[in-house]
Amino acid sequence: MNTVDKPMSRASNIVRTLGWTLLLLLLMGSGLYFWFQSESAPNLAWMAWTKPTAIFFITIFCLLIGMCLWEAFSPGGGPRMGILRFETTRGDRLFLSLLGSAFINLAWLGLVGPDLWKALGVSVLYALLVFSFV
Amino acid sequence: MIDKPFNNKAWLFVLPVFFLVAISAIIPLMTVVNYSIQDTFGNNQYFYVGTEWYTEVLGSSRFHDALGRNLLFSGIILLIEIPLGIFIALSMPRKGFWVPVCLILMALPLLIPWNVVGTIWQVFGRADIGLLGRVLTGLGVDYNYATNWLDAWITIIVMDVWHWTSLVVLLCYSGLVAIPEAYYQAARIDGASKWKVFRYIQLPKMQRVLLIAVLLRFMDSFMIYTEPFVLTGGGPGNSTTFLSIDLVNMAIGQFDLGPAAAMSIIYFLIILLLSWVFYTVMSNFGADAPNKEVG
Repeated sequence: MNTVDKPMSRASNIVRTLGWTLLLLLLMGSGLYFWFQSESAPNLAWMAWTKPTAIFFITIFCLLIGMCLWEAFSPGGGPRMGILRFETTRGDRLFLSLLGSAFINLAWLGLVGPDLWKALGVSVLYALLVFSFV
Repeated sequence: MIDKPFNNKAWLFVLPVFFLVAISAIIPLMTVVNYSIQDTFGNNQYFYVGTEWYTEVLGSSRFHDALGRNLLFSGIILLIEIPLGIFIALSMPRKGFWVPVCLILMALPLLIPWNVVGTIWQVFGRADIGLLGRVLTGLGVDYNYATNWLDAWITIIVMDVWHWTSLVVLLCYSGLVAIPEAYYQAARIDGASKWKVFRYIQLPKMQRVLLIAVLLRFMDSFMIYTEPFVLTGGGPGNSTTFLSIDLVNMAIGQFDLGPAAAMSIIYFLIILLLSWVFYTVMSNFGADAPNKEVG
């Protein structure tokens, strides 16, 4: 576990760890699920979950897992000098994509209207541009 | 490229931080996002309203005004504190007995908690019992920060300058004392004037610390809450209601959780953007040649 040097075995090591982590999370999740079904369940109504916000956070969680897998197979973060003239890794690019998308959606809401599907399209295009050129 | 031993124990070491951040930041932030798309009348009952609150906040003059006030405040204090800080740092002695005295005097305002600073200036500026208020009234100046918006703004700006110029001074001073004596000797040989020494030696050498000072002061002043809250409570009227004060009024004063949550998210995104700019500028300042070109 301690002396792995080759990229592929390093990748498989990370994937194995991620697998164990996911399994652990799944076990914890099912445990929590049954706990919440029981009578001694804590009251989490104050968190006021909705389906759209749950989908939003699950998407972000999946993106992070995807980034971990990407890192496992191609370690180092892919640093490069983009059009902004400073070094970015792919984590930076994801952050820029998400932050920029938030502002694109806000600008759409403020200037165009509440139809955010088009803003989502613009955001995806923006993210592709960020991942290609920044 | 990969020659470091890889150790999965790191994941375990990260776990405690992850749990702490989850409880103190991620879960509250998730809750705020949930609140921002719902309406509630209490009793944990929520009604889905979509992006209504965001549209409302983005279009509200109240938010625009608070944001404008905040940007104006940050701009004014930067324009005062940065030149004043440089001037004081240049005037401070570099050697001898007075160095520690000056440094301690400069550090004193930084040690005082924000709410105490607010209280000090609240009492200091009162027209009936405060020293500043009494003196100004005695001089015939019609000064009252509780009723006049201009007086309130001047008091808050002077208070912030008093509280935070020291930070700029200490940063600039650290930049100044790091300049080797050889630079000054070369300047003397060339017969450079004081202004030229400042322009071509001291200012370029202070550039990095000045950048830290500007960004720190900008971000701090953009999040200011305690001092104006204690001093004026956002008044008179709404004249000193900055974003954070407005946010607290909306969330806790009026209990409008939905709009307050939407405003929090927008405010958070602005701060996140500024923090990213801060981090990027700091970590890329004087960065070396590119490792890899896009291609």
